Amino acid sequence: MSQPDVTAIPANPPRRALTLHRELDRVWRNGPGLWGQVTSVSHTTLGLRFMATAFVFFGIGGILSMLIRAQLATPNSAFLDTALYNQIFTMHGSIMMFLFAIPMLEGLAMYLLPKMLGTRDLAFPRLSALGYWCYLLGGAILIAALLGGVAPADGWFMYTPLSGKTYSPGINADVWLLGVTFVEISALAAAIELMVSILRLRAPGMKLTQMPLFAWYILGTAAMMLAGFPPLILGSVLLEMERAFGWPFFDPERGGDPLLWQHLFWLFGHPEVYIIFLPAAGVLSTVIPVLCRTRIVGYGAIVAAILGMVFLSFGLWVHHMFTVGIPHLALAFFSAASMLVAVPTAVQIFAWIGTMWRGRPELKLPMLYILGFFFTFVMGGLTGVMLAVVPFNWQAHDTAFVTAHLHYVLIGGFVFPMLAGVTWWMPLMSGRRRIRGLGEAAFWLILIGFHGTFFLMHLTGLMGMPRRIPTYADNPEWMWLNLSSSFFGFVMTIGFALFTIDLILQAGFGKRSVRDPWQAPSLDWAMALPPPNYNFASLPGADLQQAGAAGAMLKLARGEGFLPGAPRGRREILVTSVGAARPEHVALLPFNTALPLALALAICGFVLLMLAGFYTVAPVALIPVIGLIWAWARRAVVAVDAAPVEVAPGLLLPVQPEGGATLTQSGLRCLLFADGTFFASLLFGLAFLSLVSPGPPLPTWGADQTVLLAAFAVLALLAAGALGARWALGRVEAGRPAGAALLGCVIVNLAALVALAALAFGLPDPTRHAGDAVRAALVAYVGLHVIIGILFSAFALDQARRGELAPGRAGALRNGGLWLGYTLAAAALATAALWAQEAAS
Amino acid sequence: MRRVGGMVWLGWLIAGPTAWAAAFSVAYGLHGLGCELGWPAVNVGPASLQRVAIALPSLAAILLCLVLLARVKATLGPEAGIPRLGLWIGLIATLYTMAPVLVATSCGA
Repeated sequence: MSQPDVTAIPANPPRRALTLHRELDRVWRNGPGLWGQVTSVSHTTLGLRFMATAFVFFGIGGILSMLIRAQLATPNSAFLDTALYNQIFTMHGSIMMFLFAIPMLEGLAMYLLPKMLGTRDLAFPRLSALGYWCYLLGGAILIAALLGGVAPADGWFMYTPLSGKTYSPGINADVWLLGVTFVEISALAAAIELMVSILRLRAPGMKLTQMPLFAWYILGTAAMMLAGFPPLILGSVLLEMERAFGWPFFDPERGGDPLLWQHLFWLFGHPEVYIIFLPAAGVLSTVIPVLCRTRIVGYGAIVAAILGMVFLSFGLWVHHMFTVGIPHLALAFFSAASMLVAVPTAVQIFAWIGTMWRGRPELKLPMLYILGFFFTFVMGGLTGVMLAVVPFNWQAHDTAFVTAHLHYVLIGGFVFPMLAGVTWWMPLMSGRRRIRGLGEAAFWLILIGFHGTFFLMHLTGLMGMPRRIPTYADNPEWMWLNLSSSFFGFVMTIGFALFTIDLILQAGFGKRSVRDPWQAPSLDWAMALPPPNYNFASLPGADLQQAGAAGAMLKLARGEGFLPGAPRGRREILVTSVGAARPEHVALLPFNTALPLALALAICGFVLLMLAGFYTVAPVALIPVIGLIWAWARRAVVAVDAAPVEVAPGLLLPVQPEGGATLTQSGLRCLLFADGTFFASLLFGLAFLSLVSPGPPLPTWGADQTVLLAAFAVLALLAAGALGARWALGRVEAGRPAGAALLGCVIVNLAALVALAALAFGLPDPTRHAGDAVRAALVAYVGLHVIIGILFSAFALDQARRGELAPGRAGALRNGGLWLGYTLAAAALATAALWAQEAAS
Repeated sequence: MRRVGGMVWLGWLIAGPTAWAAAFSVAYGLHGLGCELGWPAVNVGPASLQRVAIALPSLAAILLCLVLLARVKATLGPEAGIPRLGLWIGLIATLYTMAPVLVATSCGA
């Protein structure tokens, strides 16, 4: 369709704001009572819930840290026994990373982005809800394990061989591997959700180069999550396979290598630092200009700095492994990249300082936290540069100096900005003003407590105190520093408790806030406080975006923007083009549903069965998972052609795109990108074990002609399946029946699965050698994709049987084609990799 | 974004850092492969096969960034600013992180 010029579209005539509100509220509000909360898919509800839950986990993690400090206050404390101490420091790190930091940033981004981008919700509301329930249930498993005394105890990075079955025979390590992977479903869901929303749901006319910086930061974060989490998930899957079935990926006696775990973990672990930092920097870039009554300095330079950080942060992971015996040249590569990443960080710091210099900073509470950030994070960054220098790193490795550095970076770079953000957006979230004084007291207690705790830890580290030790009876000279750290640790905790009390008081008893209390220009303040679920009664065009929150608020409420009200009783949002945000089509979002909770519970059942060691029964639990996903997809089907919608005078848009991609297709592409990263990490594992691992060589496979034939049969059948899907799509688009073509597609893919099974049975025992295990893992990966491809084809066949496929309504078939094409490419690469492995051995 | 679509613009934006990431990954992979196959002991002119193999992808990335820098303005017009910065990031990152290949010993730990 032709691309409309957004600025030339006339405004809708004004209507009564209250009438519009009632119309929209009927369609978008949560259901009544507790069940209404459970079934909500609203980004506002879920964003708040993510943040509130993250704060609860932060409290639990904080209590654990106090137990650690109590233990370390004196040299030979008997407060905790060693086994319990190990569980506590492991859980402290794991909770803070996986159950606080990441969900907190997800929650803030979910809550704010649609409001900042001028839309009504995120692209996949049910996915947001599924992510939340996976997070909550996964977190509950970890906390239950802690209470039951079977929590992970091998450190938050779970190094092998300590986390292997030999040294960790209980279920403690399994709790971490399965629980954290379960939680990471929410991270991947959020990453897909946020990326598609930023690229496709911006208000009409909001170009990429003009969108709020916060959206740029979240776009970078989402891309990093899609690339960064798959290696961790892969590592967790491989380690669980080793523990459960004896596949020796990390066992050096059978060709495995513990360093493979370190590579996979830190391929995630270092980008993770920036995944956490970028949203926090987004908060700073949003708040600082408003509190300085000026515009941000260097918008373009900041976008470029985000870009630099997103990429460079993936070239640093080996600096966590400088002491493991890596060749000099590789050390030099990663040392150089580690130093280089300081440059884009510095660009942002100077842009913020420049903004403050140009404006008139107001010393309100969020600004106090911002100043706390500068003071703390710059120190953490500088000790980071020190640690990037290899000789210093060798001296300071695994000492309390590193503990101090990482807390300066994470609390300075994430917690302080997040506290600034929470105090900034609390009037929006609660609709109330805060009570003066308490917040300031909390800030000073946190700041003084933090530096008192962790600055001293640099010194204990330089004096040689290792991380994670429970006692230090032979080194009484460390006592005063440790005792002081513990004292200030409790001061900091009191500060955080006061901060929480302040929030509760504000939400419960604060006076009603005026709209846009900070006089901020961004769209997140151009709405009622607290905001209704639909955010805007009409969506802002380019003119209302320029008008700022104050100028746009009333006009939007009166329906003078795009797509006013909900006259058709549907949850409608506007999908726009990636670059210039030209309106493309109207998308229908789902209503409230319990499906996400049901699906999360079904996945939880699988996880618990694996955790209990019922490996043969566990796959049965996947049947309800598949059934629920099927039901999920069925509910998204648009079975009949919907009439075009007039979103503004003279602008009629279709409800389904006629040529462009649907939101689901954009989401699937993001998922395949993450999937591709997972696969690339697996290939990296194969190459690493084949070339670098010093273990015994891989025994020959003895692959005969039958195996070769099966491999080629799989590839040929997958190619036929992919071509069949394309042929069926062509028939649907031409208005011809496609049932027979789709039935053929299902049969061919089933045949590919049978051929793959025959190939799998011809493989050597995967417990024999790590090379055999990787081989089996590759075949399993392809097999899983073939099964999902069969489900895609069967779903499209079912749609054809129901008469739902028609030109412009073949989205599921198009998605299936994409999946089958990816599966074919992955199978071809896997075959090549196996051939290369055999040749190398 | 008058002349090109949003995805094309995004492609230009990430072209420089992607070139760096590709060169960095290939160089790291070739480093492992070369050490395994004994490339440091094989001379290709004045340098070892190991150094040449690792340097080549870097040179390719540098050349790519230079070519794209020469064309970015003509292709993207007024929207070329941020993608140009991205290309400079790719160029400088490649030069800086790959410089050690000229001096550091290759396979010794």
